[in-house]
Amino acid sequence: MKTRQGTSGAVSGSRPSRAQGRFHRRSGPSGAADDVGLSRRHLLQAALVGAGGVALGGALSGCATPEASGSGRTSVMIWDLFSGGDGALMQEMVGAVAKANPDIAVDSTTLAWGAPYYTKLAMASSGGRPPEAAVMHMSRLAGYAPGGLLEPFDLDALADLGVTQDHFAPAVWEKAQFDGQLYALPLDTHPYIAFHNPAIAGDAGLLGADGRLAIAPGADAFLDAGRAMAEVTGETGVSWGYLRDPAGCWRTFWGLYNQNGGGYDLTPGKPAELDERAAEEVFEFLQEMVDGTVAAKNQDGGAASGRFMSDRTGVMFAGEWDLPMFRDANPDVGASPFPAIFDQPANYADSHSFVLPRQARPDPAKREATYRVLAGLLKEGLTWASAGHIPAYQPVVETPEYQELTPQRDYASAAEIAVFDPDAWFTGGGSDFQTRMGDSMTDTLSGKATPASAVTRILGEMNRFLSQPSPA
Amino acid sequence: MAVSESVSTMVAARRSTAQQTRAENRTLTKLTIGPSPWVRAGALAALVVVAALWLLPLAWGAVTSFKHEAEAALPASWWPSQGWTLDAYRQVLGNSELLGWMWNSLVVAVLVTALTVLISAMAAFAFSQTLFKGRSLLQFLTVASIMMPGQILIVPLFKQMQALGLVDTFAGIVLPQVVAPVMVFILKRFFDAIPAELLDAARIDGAGTWRLFWTIVLPLSRSILVAVAIFVFIGAWNNFLWPFIVTTDPQFMTLPVGLSTVKNAYGVQYAQNMASAMIAALPLLVVFMLFQRRIVQGVATTGMGGQ
Amino acid sequence: MTASSTSLSAPVARPSRRGTGTRTRPVADTARSSLRARDRSGYLFVAPFAVATGLFLLWPTVYGLWMSFTDQSLTATESSFIGIDNYVEAFSDPQVWTTLWHTVWFTVLSTVPLVVVALLMALLVHTGLPGQWVWRMSFFAPFLLTSAVVSSLASWLFQPEIGLLDVWLAKLGLGPVGWLTDENVAMFSIALVTVWWTVGFNFLLYLAALQGIPQQQYEAATIDGAGGWRRLFSITLPQMKTITGVIVVLQLLASLKVFDQIYLLTAGGPNGSTRPILEYVYDMGFTNYRLGYASAISYVFFALILVFTLVRLLPTKKEA
Repeated sequence: MKTRQGTSGAVSGSRPSRAQGRFHRRSGPSGAADDVGLSRRHLLQAALVGAGGVALGGALSGCATPEASGSGRTSVMIWDLFSGGDGALMQEMVGAVAKANPDIAVDSTTLAWGAPYYTKLAMASSGGRPPEAAVMHMSRLAGYAPGGLLEPFDLDALADLGVTQDHFAPAVWEKAQFDGQLYALPLDTHPYIAFHNPAIAGDAGLLGADGRLAIAPGADAFLDAGRAMAEVTGETGVSWGYLRDPAGCWRTFWGLYNQNGGGYDLTPGKPAELDERAAEEVFEFLQEMVDGTVAAKNQDGGAASGRFMSDRTGVMFAGEWDLPMFRDANPDVGASPFPAIFDQPANYADSHSFVLPRQARPDPAKREATYRVLAGLLKEGLTWASAGHIPAYQPVVETPEYQELTPQRDYASAAEIAVFDPDAWFTGGGSDFQTRMGDSMTDTLSGKATPASAVTRILGEMNRFLSQPSPA
Repeated sequence: MAVSESVSTMVAARRSTAQQTRAENRTLTKLTIGPSPWVRAGALAALVVVAALWLLPLAWGAVTSFKHEAEAALPASWWPSQGWTLDAYRQVLGNSELLGWMWNSLVVAVLVTALTVLISAMAAFAFSQTLFKGRSLLQFLTVASIMMPGQILIVPLFKQMQALGLVDTFAGIVLPQVVAPVMVFILKRFFDAIPAELLDAARIDGAGTWRLFWTIVLPLSRSILVAVAIFVFIGAWNNFLWPFIVTTDPQFMTLPVGLSTVKNAYGVQYAQNMASAMIAALPLLVVFMLFQRRIVQGVATTGMGGQ
Repeated sequence: MTASSTSLSAPVARPSRRGTGTRTRPVADTARSSLRARDRSGYLFVAPFAVATGLFLLWPTVYGLWMSFTDQSLTATESSFIGIDNYVEAFSDPQVWTTLWHTVWFTVLSTVPLVVVALLMALLVHTGLPGQWVWRMSFFAPFLLTSAVVSSLASWLFQPEIGLLDVWLAKLGLGPVGWLTDENVAMFSIALVTVWWTVGFNFLLYLAALQGIPQQQYEAATIDGAGGWRRLFSITLPQMKTITGVIVVLQLLASLKVFDQIYLLTAGGPNGSTRPILEYVYDMGFTNYRLGYASAISYVFFALILVFTLVRLLPTKKEA
């Protein structure tokens, strides 16, 4: 018993690493000379060390904190999911903010995008070492905020840094709220839009006097325009790759469904409700579009953008984030909001925003530094806009510099009619929901099933999600 | 002079073993496939082809890693027209956390190996050479736990680590990996073969149990301990699932987890990807080249659960 | 190392089969008990292992079982007991069966070549032809790579248009093949990668077994005038029967636990066509936060592995 007490202090105390060290030392060569009694004591120590997982844990975690905090600067870690051009721009913005705040060490880490990113973020916030801030798709907020994984923003602290509600588009600001509090600080709006090749669109007579795409509203007008471009290219008119791109399918569908006035009711525990007629009309239109003339049959995303970039189609449906890629292929590439196929103004969009993961040990100094960094990043929006995103912080959009950016300014209006994913815990960018939705419509889009069957399958999948208990 | 003498004896000994092995191999060839030069040529050709196929992915990765980024993204060519470069390595070593993850991997693998070998050997020794109350029950539980696939425990283990505050700590990565009932049994079977007279004699001399273990059993079992250690080390160095679950802070990630979770903000860069892969692959490959015989033996004896 | 590398607790979570190794001497307990009996400190030696096993294997097993009867979530701190609801849901969840099928399908696809190719490699190397070091190195080297490196290399080879495989196929006027993007191909590609990666392990086991065949048998056969092929079929292969049985079982158990390479290469895609059940557990638990339900799925899977393990233990008992 004596030995136990003797060692337990070291084992469960603040510096258990000593116990471990002692064990190793004593059980070394000198152990050979010990008598029976002594050896038992060592064994007991060994047992305690081996067994005291928790205590040893303390030791290991204690000696293993790799954080270099000797510089006296406050370190702020931000996770993002940007790679490619976006990633480079984010690095540039972080660099600018870090330069303006020499007392803060900004550490930005890019994690693999998609479900893995949100999974890691949730796991970090629920027991690990979460970053001080993280980029999140606004469409995922409904799944995050209720679970208590995030902290709301302090509006007063933001206002002190010159960031207030009137600096954001109302639709975006509203989407960033949960339970009456601001949980997401919007960085941008990124709509799903229509790019065009000015030469081809021009030859097909589809450019307005201002050089913008001018296609009359309505499904028929759009299909005619597609055929006109197909005549110019000798192949197809519109690039839309729906195979192996479930998220793209869903974005197109949900945008058009909203244009067609469709509403929804996704209440957990109740069957999903959609305007089935409106949804079928959307599929009828898409089937008509994928006829081998307006748009190619059985085309995937890679082939679609390949055709568009090699001047073999005139219009391409894609996220504005593809702008840098298209501009590399054709510096004159133009862009406009998603065409008006149905009556209501609507444009599918999502928004990158910053969130504050819940900290197990809140640190006021870090919090203050984090706010400064985030406000700084919002104000670097012009850099961000060069990749195609529409800055959420309106003062940036209003600058003459932004108004000279083409084609960005030509689709900036899409933000005003932005529709996001439906509100539910399971929806949003990079979610399983989008994949399931997209997968349910592939057969219909390739003509192997009827529009009605796609609607049935979508409802079935929605019901499956709704029948699962909300995790929060 | 004694040193050089012993070195020269060692070299001579090595040379003679090498000669001996060569002679043995010749006999083996005769015995297995016979003396026909055609059959021999056929078998050799088959070996060359399969070995080439097996080295191909590594070779292709290595070639890519020494190319300029722009050229790496062009359709496959083995010989780059723009010449070779170390750019990718410079980028990866300079800008990423690769070395940090490597260090984490090393720390984790060493800790897992040391702890696993130690506690497994102690338990095996107790099962083999001592009697105590509940021995058979514990032994039964150990056998039973061999059947428990650790993978299915990721969910409760994560929750447990969360409760203990061990998420994103080395302890959280290491501790669940040190439970290796199979190793206890491999070691126990080896310890069973230690002559009882040897231990009894030591006991009569008044040696304590710890001393029996430390000065007799362990030294006698060096070969199997090394085999177990090698096996555990390879497993721990390469383990993905658990470190992937229990680390969220990139600073604590091990090499495989970091490589696959944290992305280069500047986009997919093939040469750099391959350079990272090569750097990650190198340590174990080098160790293998140096200690091939030992490792081959270790894996073969340990891999079957000591059969 | 499909499983060994993914294994949590042990680098090899493989059941040991107690055979009579050459080194092991059957020891009569009574013969040495006189002195051993006085040594009662054994429990101290078992303690570290026992506590570690209790904390990190047995307790999570019990705790996980409890969780499977609750609606525990990753994010919430409270949970309530919901009886067998999770199990009822699991049995009617088509994804459970689909992912279970993927796991079994992968196991079948990978086990056969992993055994056959390993045997062929070992037979070729066991000819004693020059270059032993090189052959062993080439066949075993991939096993030493971590899954992250394996999947980087593989996705680089499989890269559409610029990957080595597609480029070579194009030269032959074939392809392109959607290695990881075509639902009908992806699982085969993953099995191919797995064979490349882990066959070296089985190869070493076979090689060790081959080296255990007494040379006199070959010599006797040679004197009897048996040719190379005769010796292969009448001496070598028959003696590989037992070890093959063992390797097959080890491999099946390892392949059933597949996660790493699938998660890293396709993340279960395209269209969920390669998602194994372990990834479904991960997705359910950590991506959808439903720890309780994920636990229930794990236990359904565990029950299956357990039945498999017990079934294979039965004949062993009869033999003994």
